Amino acid sequence: MTLRSRLVDWSLTAVLILLPALVLRASLARGTPSPLDKALLRITAPLETGVSWVIEGIGGTWSRYVSLVDVEAENRELREDNERLRKQLAAMARRAYDVAALEDLAVVKKRVPFDTLGARVIGAPLSPQFRVVRLRIDRGDREVAAGMPVITSQGPVGRIDKVYGDYADVVLISDPSSRIDVVIRDPAQPPNAPSGERGLLVGLGRADSYACKIEWLERQGRTAPSQSRVKVGDEVVTSGLGATFPAGLVVGKVSKIIGDDGMFQSVEVNPAVDVSRVRAVMVLLAPPPPPDPDARTKRRSEAAFGARPL
Amino acid sequence: MRTATIVLVAYLCCVVVAALWRLVPWIADAIPDLGALTAAYLGLTARRQVSPAIGGAIVLGYLIDLISGAPAGLVALVLGLTTLVARAVQQRILVRGAVISVAFSAFVALLAGIVSWLVRELYGVPTAAFGVELRHLAGVTIATAIIGPLVWRMFRRIDAAYARTHRERDAALEGLAP
Repeated sequence: MTLRSRLVDWSLTAVLILLPALVLRASLARGTPSPLDKALLRITAPLETGVSWVIEGIGGTWSRYVSLVDVEAENRELREDNERLRKQLAAMARRAYDVAALEDLAVVKKRVPFDTLGARVIGAPLSPQFRVVRLRIDRGDREVAAGMPVITSQGPVGRIDKVYGDYADVVLISDPSSRIDVVIRDPAQPPNAPSGERGLLVGLGRADSYACKIEWLERQGRTAPSQSRVKVGDEVVTSGLGATFPAGLVVGKVSKIIGDDGMFQSVEVNPAVDVSRVRAVMVLLAPPPPPDPDARTKRRSEAAFGARPL
Repeated sequence: MRTATIVLVAYLCCVVVAALWRLVPWIADAIPDLGALTAAYLGLTARRQVSPAIGGAIVLGYLIDLISGAPAGLVALVLGLTTLVARAVQQRILVRGAVISVAFSAFVALLAGIVSWLVRELYGVPTAAFGVELRHLAGVTIATAIIGPLVWRMFRRIDAAYARTHRERDAALEGLAP
């Protein structure tokens, strides 16, 4: 290699080294890609896109179909977790339902002036049409007695029929043996003042519904002839005269007029309580004590300890 | 033609590595410096004239600048300088065998990283914190050292394909300087 060609080579090398240095300076000064950069990027972009597509496709195939070593074990663990959580959820739902029922009973207890006792429903024999025919509660002969009325916040459920050991059976208001003295609530009267047509609610004992009926519905308390007819949808409440249920408990609504002979009406009633969903009930033990005649005349005693207000 | 082929293959490898390394984010810091390896190979195997090797390295560097988003000319300058260094050690070192290949690849990556850092400092291109740069350099050096022997072998195959005689072919495959 001659000196001349060597000089040319090294000069060319120097120029080539200088070239990117100048390009770098210009690029940094400009801050944006030059037209040459853009053109080259446009040319090379499809190649880069193609290579990326192929490699990402292979990578995706690997991660989706080949690299599944731990997936079976993980799947089994997740299934077990899922089953455990489902059971927990069911238990929690049941507990929440019980809590709601107990809260409901607490409200009833506050509202009803009777001595009451809460009870859980522990059994509900069904008819062939999947209707509850009676309820079994977890209160026995030391706590309840036959004939005691059983209610929920929605209304009367029935009456205690048999008591044995730690359990008692409740005969429902839809049972043919049940009799409750009721009145049709007069819409013009306040809710706690039952008036209007009076009758005896008797269970129909149907296997496919909880319907009851009122026979010999007396007309009273309504003066205008247009008001003297019971209509479908009228509310039926306990009268309190049967010495069983307190007055004013909503029994249900009139669902059908069965007969009307001019003097008496006979209607069908749909009970307010859905017995199939009842989980807790309240047993009415005794009526409230009579009011104290000296209640207002007695002087309030003073506090024995602590600061007294001036 | 040989230089152009090496540059083209190296560029394709860079594109593949760029796409591949996105799938393995846990080693995102350890990207093998194929550009530096190529530049070093071109420098080591430059025949009588050094300018074609420098030209090839600069073209490859420019293409890498475009795909990596670096300022145009940065990698090109670094690879040009790396080729010059490789050319300078051409008569003093023989890259044969796995250990030397690994060691020389690591040296090349380290050299290119240091030159890159110096150029960026010189031109005022923003750099990361020193610790981050050092960690990145270590990752790149290790990755380049691991992949280096494969790259050398690939380039030797290309050289062998362009050999005019059996002797040249054998020499290329053996990794002997032309």
